[in-house]
Amino acid sequence: MIFSAKANGPEITSFRTKLAIAMMLVVSGVTAFGIYLGQGRVTANAERDLRQTFQAELSGLDKLQELRHATLAERCRLLAEKPRIHAALEDNALDLLYPSAKDELRDLMEGGDTWSEREAGSLHARFCRFLDGAGAVLSPPDPKDLGALSAKTEAQLAFKTLPDKQQIGYLTEDVDLADKTVDEVIAVPIFSSETGEVISALVVGFKPFEITSKRAGVEVKSGIWTAGQLHMPSLSKAAQIILGNKITNALSKADRVQNGFTVTVESVPQLLFYKRLNPDSLFPPAYEICVYSLADSISQQHRLRWQFGGVGALLLLGGFVASHFVALRFAKPVERLALDSEQNRAQRRRAEAALISTSEKLSRSTRYSADASHQLKSPLTVLRAGLEALLAHEDFKPEIYEELSTLLHQTHRLSGIIEDLLLLARLDAGYLQLHSEPVNLSQLVEEWLDDLDALPDSPDVEIQKEVPPDLYVAGAKRYISLIVQNLLENARKYNRKGGRIRVAAQAEGSEIRLAIGNTGQPIARDAQEHIFERFRRAATGAAVSGHGLGLNLARELVRLHKGDLKLVRSADDWTEFELRLRAAQPVVERAS
Amino acid sequence: MRLSWIVSSNAICALLPISGFANATIEGRVELPPSHSAPVMAKRYEIVTHGGVLSTQPPLAVVYLEGSFSKPVTPSTKQIAQKNLAFVPPLLPIQAGTRIEFPNLDDTYHSIFSYSPAKRFDLGRYRPDERPIPSEVFDTPGLVTLHCDIHEHMRGLILVLNTPYFVVTNPDGRFRLSGLPSGHYVFKAWIDSTTTREKPVDLKNGETSHVDFP
Repeated sequence: MIFSAKANGPEITSFRTKLAIAMMLVVSGVTAFGIYLGQGRVTANAERDLRQTFQAELSGLDKLQELRHATLAERCRLLAEKPRIHAALEDNALDLLYPSAKDELRDLMEGGDTWSEREAGSLHARFCRFLDGAGAVLSPPDPKDLGALSAKTEAQLAFKTLPDKQQIGYLTEDVDLADKTVDEVIAVPIFSSETGEVISALVVGFKPFEITSKRAGVEVKSGIWTAGQLHMPSLSKAAQIILGNKITNALSKADRVQNGFTVTVESVPQLLFYKRLNPDSLFPPAYEICVYSLADSISQQHRLRWQFGGVGALLLLGGFVASHFVALRFAKPVERLALDSEQNRAQRRRAEAALISTSEKLSRSTRYSADASHQLKSPLTVLRAGLEALLAHEDFKPEIYEELSTLLHQTHRLSGIIEDLLLLARLDAGYLQLHSEPVNLSQLVEEWLDDLDALPDSPDVEIQKEVPPDLYVAGAKRYISLIVQNLLENARKYNRKGGRIRVAAQAEGSEIRLAIGNTGQPIARDAQEHIFERFRRAATGAAVSGHGLGLNLARELVRLHKGDLKLVRSADDWTEFELRLRAAQPVVERAS
Repeated sequence: MRLSWIVSSNAICALLPISGFANATIEGRVELPPSHSAPVMAKRYEIVTHGGVLSTQPPLAVVYLEGSFSKPVTPSTKQIAQKNLAFVPPLLPIQAGTRIEFPNLDDTYHSIFSYSPAKRFDLGRYRPDERPIPSEVFDTPGLVTLHCDIHEHMRGLILVLNTPYFVVTNPDGRFRLSGLPSGHYVFKAWIDSTTTREKPVDLKNGETSHVDFP
């Protein structure tokens, strides 16, 4: 048993481990999936929010830009409507053009003072130029007042034909060899008040509107892309060139007005938006480039990832612990079951072993009893024959005959003991075959009572018989007879002088009840429960013959007949046994 | 109009002792361009632009005798008033050397200037009570366009001529110019800023020539 329990130990451990591993796998999988989904969702949300915020900011800036353009254009238009300018242009007094617009141009160069104008960005013009009817730039008499421009830049302001609509352009200007600036240029046509034709144009250059501040809590850099070059002063030259090329590529691919993509600039991922600044303009196309650093967002995502990781790890740990406990709990009944079954098995083995051993002992004992009986019978027969032969002699003294007669009686008694032992041995071994048949119990009792009277040493007892005729029981006549004989002999043996024996029989349902009572010293209370045991005799005195097997044999035989034999009463000069046997139909008796 | 007649008759009187034969007359009619806007409500004349051409509305023409005549010894003075946000008269022919006063008859500022090649001047802004009345002398023949810096729609035309013999036609184009010297001349009709027609005339003292500009 100990060996097998040890052998089962690893199996249970392995079961528990497998259960725990399976649960951990499930927990890990679920946690990982949850984290994956959660993080993906949160990241997507964050990016979307960021984009939306940024787009909103951009559209707000666009509005500001529009306001600025409208303000600038209105200023230019008002300037262009000045009668003096018209007069100078229409009356061919070009030499008076700049002087006559001097005050208004000075206003423009100095910028507006109102709050809204300041808010809309700088309205200080960097330069002002008029174009003549052919679209060529009219050089001012004193360029200092109206913004000095290089010949190259000034050439960019010219049109082949004058536009009839306001134009917005972005022109690069070389400040020096290394540095370049971009000017936002608004060209406003001037219509002749006389002919209605475009006779001139006012071209005003401004410093472009730059977003360099932190917007929506994130750093936004703005710049302008035009003519294949990016101008974003907040970036290094090299980065500007690289990013400029990327934008050039993107613009050549997509022909959309506003769009964005993600780029890596100066090893920082950036969200880049571009928007055409001057749609439908005669000036070269220019795009506003807004670069928004994703560094914050990425670090936020990193932080989020770590948080998720931490939470995931905690969840996982919790899951592991939980799964461990659950596995233990789940494994416990199984363990108990295994243990129980092991114990059961061991008990069964023990019981089987005990049974086998008992059976062996029993069979040995039975065999021994049977052998002993047989071995005893032969010398007894020889002894009896010897004694009977001696009794046949006539030349012995009468005392010797008496002695011989007693010895012969003893041999008969011994023979009875041996018979009983043999029968018991057969009963114990289960060899006794019962051929059940209806037995006339009434008749049996009658015969045995007659025999009882005929016995030589029968005491002076009164026999009361209350047995109705033809009570049949199921059984073997030989054994039923033996039972009745035993009981009646006991009633006679343990009686007193002048006592009585009462035999009463009656049918009770499917049973026949036979009560046999006798007067005499009752069986001691302590001994009453042992009287059916083998070799037990009621301590009633040595005068009573018997060998202590009778009651035992009787009960064994009754039980073989599926009946019962018990002591009903043994007190106050009265001892009564009750025999119950299965009733049988008397028809069979009549037929036989 | 009445004023100009008076002025011109003064000029003729001044020239009389020099020429000695200043008694010829030209009369006729200038075919005026059709009116561009309904003149019913327009009781006054204005300078209008049509296709870059300045003319009066309703149309008027100036006829004058071209030739080399001596300038007057004492320059005459004429007036172009600014009244009801318009120049009155809108078209004024003068002999070169004439001074023109520009009285402001409105209750607002006016600012008269001209960038015309014949005369560039800028009187700046002034109120109705500006004294002396701002004036300019016009020496160079040609068409001078007057602007007001404040009221950009205001236009006035001064036709500076080399001759003392000129007259503005009636609204129907008819004219009569008398007191002219005899001799061969070129007679011109200024119709708008880009159209001036001319015809040779042979004037004789005491005779009336008839010239029509189709």
